[in-house]
Amino acid sequence: MQLICLGLNHKTAPVEVRERFAVGTARLGDSAKELIATTGVAEGVVISTCNRTEFYLVAAESREALARLESHLEEKTPGHHDVATHFYRMERSEAARHLCRVVSGLDSMMLGETEIFGQVKQAYQAALDAGATSSVLNKLFQRAFGVGKKVRTETTIQTGSTSVGNVAVDLAEKIFGHLKDSEVMILGAGEMSRITAQSLVSRGARSIFVSNRSFDRAEELATEMGGSAVRFDAWQDVLARVDIVISSTGAPHAIVRREDVEKIRRARKYRPLFFIDIAVPRDIDPAVGEIEEVYLYDIDTLEQLAEEARAKRQKQIEECERIIDAELAKLNLPGT
Amino acid sequence: MDRWFLIAATLFAVIGAVWGMVSVHRGRRSKWTVFWMGACFLCQLGFLSLRGQARAACPLADHGEILVFLSWSLTLFYLLVGSAYRISLLGVFTAPVVVVFQTIALASGALERNPQRIPGGNPWHETHSATSVLAYGALALAAVAGVMFLVLDRQLKEQHLKSGLFRNLPPVRELLVSMERLLWLGGGLLTIGIIAGFMMPHDSAALGHLLAAVSVWTAYMVVLAIKKTRGLTGRRLSLLAVALFILSLGVFAFV
Repeated sequence: MQLICLGLNHKTAPVEVRERFAVGTARLGDSAKELIATTGVAEGVVISTCNRTEFYLVAAESREALARLESHLEEKTPGHHDVATHFYRMERSEAARHLCRVVSGLDSMMLGETEIFGQVKQAYQAALDAGATSSVLNKLFQRAFGVGKKVRTETTIQTGSTSVGNVAVDLAEKIFGHLKDSEVMILGAGEMSRITAQSLVSRGARSIFVSNRSFDRAEELATEMGGSAVRFDAWQDVLARVDIVISSTGAPHAIVRREDVEKIRRARKYRPLFFIDIAVPRDIDPAVGEIEEVYLYDIDTLEQLAEEARAKRQKQIEECERIIDAELAKLNLPGT
Repeated sequence: MDRWFLIAATLFAVIGAVWGMVSVHRGRRSKWTVFWMGACFLCQLGFLSLRGQARAACPLADHGEILVFLSWSLTLFYLLVGSAYRISLLGVFTAPVVVVFQTIALASGALERNPQRIPGGNPWHETHSATSVLAYGALALAAVAGVMFLVLDRQLKEQHLKSGLFRNLPPVRELLVSMERLLWLGGGLLTIGIIAGFMMPHDSAALGHLLAAVSVWTAYMVVLAIKKTRGLTGRRLSLLAVALFILSLGVFAFV
């Protein structure tokens, strides 16, 4: 019996190809069962996330099983030749090693991300429940989860935020703790504002106010976020009640000046106020950051913090690979 | 025997402080600080219990006992507040203060070697002493939270966000909420202590102490009133909590 992996990911295929092979979470178990039925393999697990679709199989004849699976996939997308162009093939220990790297977040678009661990676990559980796994894949996946945990506890591969949005959210939590008591105002309904505000909402921010020169666009974004739109000439009134301000207008000059904030300090009872300025040129006068209770971060600082975290994670890769090799060496897994 | 309890309490606080600082330096949460401070607290209780038996009263008869009682009160509030608000790092900042207070008590001869029984104890006097020192414990912890806020505020303002200390410090808002609650608690206990102080029999020699105590109480009440009505920035509240606590220690000069 041999272990095989056939898959594609964000490095080998663009999104329009990945989406053709994506399998919904609810269908993972059925897909694993189908995989066994159509390719005649002994065991199978299907992993599908927004960045990858992978098929793990255990077969007596790996080449035949791979050929059957490839032709089955080609039938799904006639005329595209996606399988030959975008899929990678791995066998035995290379496939086992790849799974450990995937579970540990080493193969992810955002190096070290933790979401993939849960997604692989879900895919394995679905295959297990569907009766599509047996001794080889059960042992492999259990070991891979152990390796993933070890990599995360013994290295710093997951520490630090690697995107501007996450850095901003981490800082907001450092200032306000739980964000459920925090209110957010967005100035300028641009993409970066939307992404950052979404991160804040996903961590529990209580309410969102959107202010934009085009009120229609403000209303559109406010509806999407479940917040309220504010006319652009009225954002100063809202400033007195919010805790976090994200600004990314396309204005050629500062929108928020020191005197705007000075005016509302008393009404706010001098509570902390966090400004995230992701606009270029900057929307918030740097003098605003000199006010005692104000914390002001611009795009350069946030980007620098994200870059430092990314560099730190890159340095950890070697240590993670060493752990994976050591753990796999202990395993003596059948099929590898 | 009482001194040995105090030495042990001080050693536990030293271990708690060093352990906590090393953990913070390595960027880890110091899980053991609460344990060491708990051991310190038990030894402080042993010391105060023996001194209380010897005095047949609340052991607040010399400067050494006052310092130890203050350390005990500080540790008590840390154990209550630190776990309630999950501010374990408060212990890392509290432990050195406890070490300093207890070392002064041990080293300076501030403790009477043979504590004498206090004749004719008065319940108002006991209430005054006990609640005042408890109040000082809460106010000391508010000052410690103030120092933590000042450190975090500086790091956030100057965008120095890489240290282990930064990662382990609790959020700004939690520190400010804890500090304000501790100030209210300390202010409340101090009020009871002041009232009891007026009720207890005293001679003209106690006038300086009473005046100093009333001044401290007034200063704290003014700060709390301003915070409640007008608001104060975190930095100013923290600076006031630290400055007032240091100044208020002067009250003991009149004991």
